[in-house]
Amino acid sequence: MSLNVPLGPFHPALEEPYKIEVACEGERITDATITIGFNFRGIEWLAERKNYTQDIALLERVCGICSNVHSMMFCRAVEKIAGLEVPPRGAYIRVIMCELERMHSHLLWAGIACHIIGFETLFMTIFALREQVQDALESISGNRVNYGMNRPGGVNRDIGDPAAVLAVAKATSAAMTEQMIPLITKNRGIRSRCVGVGVLTPEDAYAFAAVGPVARASGVSIDLRKTDPYEAYDQFEFDVPVTTNGDVFDRVVVRALEIVESCRILEQAIESLPPGPVAGELFPHVPAGEAAIHQEAPRGEVFYYMESDGSDHPTRVRVRTPTFANMPSVRQMVIGQTLSDLGLIQASIDPCYSCTDR
Amino acid sequence: MNVDALLQQIDPDGTSDLRADGRWAVWPNLDVRKMAATMIEHKVHFVTATAVLGADDTVRLLYHWSVDSQLITMETTVLEGRIPTISDLLPAADWVEREIRDYYGVEFTGRTDTPPLVLRAGDPPGLFSRTADLGHEANPAQTARAQVADVRGDDSDGAPAAEQVRADVEGEDAR
Repeated sequence: MSLNVPLGPFHPALEEPYKIEVACEGERITDATITIGFNFRGIEWLAERKNYTQDIALLERVCGICSNVHSMMFCRAVEKIAGLEVPPRGAYIRVIMCELERMHSHLLWAGIACHIIGFETLFMTIFALREQVQDALESISGNRVNYGMNRPGGVNRDIGDPAAVLAVAKATSAAMTEQMIPLITKNRGIRSRCVGVGVLTPEDAYAFAAVGPVARASGVSIDLRKTDPYEAYDQFEFDVPVTTNGDVFDRVVVRALEIVESCRILEQAIESLPPGPVAGELFPHVPAGEAAIHQEAPRGEVFYYMESDGSDHPTRVRVRTPTFANMPSVRQMVIGQTLSDLGLIQASIDPCYSCTDR
Repeated sequence: MNVDALLQQIDPDGTSDLRADGRWAVWPNLDVRKMAATMIEHKVHFVTATAVLGADDTVRLLYHWSVDSQLITMETTVLEGRIPTISDLLPAADWVEREIRDYYGVEFTGRTDTPPLVLRAGDPPGLFSRTADLGHEANPAQTARAQVADVRGDDSDGAPAAEQVRADVEGEDAR
């Protein structure tokens, strides 16, 4: 029997609005149409009307999970146009913030994935682990969500207690390696829900320009921290986990392994934190110019374009978030799958609709 | 990958600059379909496209690609509001083109359908172009709906247009 099943705009798994309408033959999905825009706030439009200082706060609110990445991208675009250099200590602190943010983003997703799968005990355990990372972010910035750390030419705050952040990195790494990864990869319940489900082939990953852990789980070996290093990423040793099956399970595994690599980077960054200032001049002049930059957010490559005419506000700010790149590939993932797996498959790209709609 | 050879394959006469943020090729007569076909042939990653409104309402269109993780920007100018689509060659461009039409009203020729992406069905395209002169006090979402009322022939300003929009929305909800 043929059925059209609309899901959304209230998401069956995550608390953000978007709509997916699937055509089914019995339980099997034969096509899917994705509708976004329920969270459109016109942030690119607003950014052209606010000054550079106001825009840092505005762009930080593109996303509630990877907010640090967006204020950092905005500041990096300003730095490119104005030719500003970030002092070494400022660059290290940016790396530390990025990796803590990646850890809490991946742990949040892993917890929610367990909740969707129905493994509530692991959901609670992972969220307890994430709480330590949140505490570290709060101890550095004073905030749990929008950290207000970045400014053109550096960061706003130094790290008061590096030893506490180091302890969190070591504790998280040990918990992931000894407890979480064996549980996630060997548990029969998780494997039965994830292995072979929602496959994205390497060809589709390229055609739909998938990024981040979604692409790396399909064999695309691109991580801008390694392949186009920015800030101080070329100073650290770390591996980029890449798998080739392209299913939900591989996306779980890639993110779990990335948490461990983030801990490695954090440990090196804290132990070799250089002395000196964390930022330059507070309100630098931004001359006329334009810049296109990209970096690796928790969900994958984020891209910013900025144009300036030399006034106190930018004339164009373009934001391409990782979920905007990854969402269209969900159609390829769900075709041929059962309706009951739809919620988990769409959640497996770690979607952020507020990012996507901006 | 040799970026110069790649660009030469798209246009043997084209030149490019190496800037602090990567390679830029500014070609007013860029053949976007040949660009897309060449990039696909060499498995170059598509990042996105950016539309930028110029002072005289011209639209510059910037296609951003990633060659071995190094950014290449290929810039062209949209003439008479139209440019060929590349979404049939590269599905990743589909949402990007729909969004650019939403914001700047650029028509991508060769597409069978260009539904709105972030705007609602029935909203006229070109939201950012229409509102380019408005200050930050304007609300882009409300502006989109108010324009629908204008398009339907309600040329009064303020409350009647808003009431019309509200009535239309309630009518849709009731259905």
